[in-house]
Amino acid sequence: MTRKPTIITGTVGMDAHVIGTKILSRAFRDAGFNVVELGCLTPTDEFIEAAQETAADAILMSSLYGMAELDLRGFKDKCREAGLDDVLLYIGGILGVSRHDFKDDEVKFKKLGFDRVFPPEADLKSAIEDLRHDLKARGKI
Amino acid sequence: MQTTVRQKRIDEDEFLEMRKAVLAEWPTGKEVDLEEAVEYQRNLPASKNFTKVTEKLRQEGKTNIFPRAGTPVLEEEIKLVKTLVAAGIRHVPVTIDAYTRLHQFEKAQQALEESIKTGRPMLNGYPIINHGVKNTRKVIESVEAAFVPRGAHELAMEIALASGMTSAGKSSLFEFGSYEKKRTLEDCFKRSQYTDRLAGYYTERGAVISTDIHGFIPSGTFPLSVNIAGIIIDSLVAAEQGVRSVIPLLHFNGHMAQDLAWLKVAPRLLREYLDRFGYKDTIIPGVLENQIPLFPVPQNMGGAFAYLNYSAMVAALGEAQAVFVRTIDEGAGVPTQEAHALSYESANWILNVVRTQKIKLEIEGMETEERITEAEVRAILEKVLELGDGDMIVGSIKAVEAGVIDSPFCPNIHVKDKVLGIRDSQGACRYLEFGNLPFPEDIKDFHRQKVAERERAEGRKMDYQVVIEDFWAFSKNKIIGG
Repeated sequence: MTRKPTIITGTVGMDAHVIGTKILSRAFRDAGFNVVELGCLTPTDEFIEAAQETAADAILMSSLYGMAELDLRGFKDKCREAGLDDVLLYIGGILGVSRHDFKDDEVKFKKLGFDRVFPPEADLKSAIEDLRHDLKARGKI
Repeated sequence: MQTTVRQKRIDEDEFLEMRKAVLAEWPTGKEVDLEEAVEYQRNLPASKNFTKVTEKLRQEGKTNIFPRAGTPVLEEEIKLVKTLVAAGIRHVPVTIDAYTRLHQFEKAQQALEESIKTGRPMLNGYPIINHGVKNTRKVIESVEAAFVPRGAHELAMEIALASGMTSAGKSSLFEFGSYEKKRTLEDCFKRSQYTDRLAGYYTERGAVISTDIHGFIPSGTFPLSVNIAGIIIDSLVAAEQGVRSVIPLLHFNGHMAQDLAWLKVAPRLLREYLDRFGYKDTIIPGVLENQIPLFPVPQNMGGAFAYLNYSAMVAALGEAQAVFVRTIDEGAGVPTQEAHALSYESANWILNVVRTQKIKLEIEGMETEERITEAEVRAILEKVLELGDGDMIVGSIKAVEAGVIDSPFCPNIHVKDKVLGIRDSQGACRYLEFGNLPFPEDIKDFHRQKVAERERAEGRKMDYQVVIEDFWAFSKNKIIGG
């Protein structure tokens, strides 16, 4: 990559699950991204502030506790208001409280403004490829 | 850093003053009448007392299931506990939702109301503070079993105990190392001293409240010595506040010789340290086990059944009084009632069949695992005492700052996170990076040798990448990654 894209990572809301976002952060860093790692228990506003401050290209959110839907209502609007309309939004993890079809998550979170939605078993390498692909498509790299 | 918290019993008048502020945090605090609650607790039958239920299981030579479960709507919570008790469960948890755990009572209230309106659980547990004592007693009175809250802090514990729950499950190191991002260990100790003091208050008036203690739980593949040291620290803190029944909650890591060795070492060392500090009348009624993630993915139902049953089998072989097996829905989210019932039916089959045979396993290498773990736990605890000049709390706070107590992949920013665990070629957990863990050189060499054996066997360097591969192994029906 000629330009080093910046991404924001973290687990959103009142969720302390941190292992996934730590592993993901390191994998993206190793793959040549500039990673701003917010860790677990991160309020949505912190994602927005970090994206503004660093002129980020993408926000990669994790959520494992099933309550992300509550945490992320109105998040895309806040991003727009903050001038972050073209920042890519990815989310992955366990996105509903009990056993459900991942396809429902995909529909629900795309409606909430996310560009890509990943199931718990998503492969890191393909996620890195997905982001590169999306950034290229937007002329960011 | 100057710490103000000490390993010292809170004076009763001071405690009663502290309670006023806690009970004022939410309107349901008014429902707690301490003297009435003590009387209510004293009249509960043995079948509802966590300590007595645990002792009875030990006497009968049985291993039960100790699940995690909680759902927001009262009527659904009652149905859920009935499902659990129908599956033979006698230690019933009430898992509290994450908003309540992190003091977001308003948010919990909104989500509770939305759950009632939509008929869909919007919280990952039971918002105990919003429900209050009257509602929670309805849950406890609906079945014959002993209750414990999961994730209760001061006000939640007040409501839980006043409602008739009989274990004040709380652990400073667990909260600090697994649920909090910015909270200091000092603060976590203060909160635990409050809930321990509350349990002690009931206990000294004839209503025995146990505390079940997690310690610093391992995130991923990591030997259990830091965890066991933490269980002992938190138990001593509880005992000082008047708790007379402590129950260690150990963690399986999947390697049988290690898991069984840890089950033996932990209560033995805990007893020794309780006696050494003068808490001879604090009993250990039993040991509970926990299955750890990472769990097979939702689509891998066969793997999910196998993993939970394997954990049940090791708990039975280790003669634990109860085991937390996760359900087949673990990889998918909060389990449904059907998933609870089906998973425990399966685990109970194993528990009954294995325990009836009274198997005494002699596994090669188990004695070595015991010896190594014991040396590591002692090294940590003695260093903690040295740092605290004899005060376990002051020492623990300094130990975390110094990385003498450390854990990988920890959510809390105050933890050093300079350590890593990895599997050896037989699947046992070893230290790959020791950080500042205060182990003797011969113990470190033992781990280094085991790691070197795997390097030779696989012809590659053991590093962070392999650690991650090991981390995923159980989800892929294996014990070693790669």
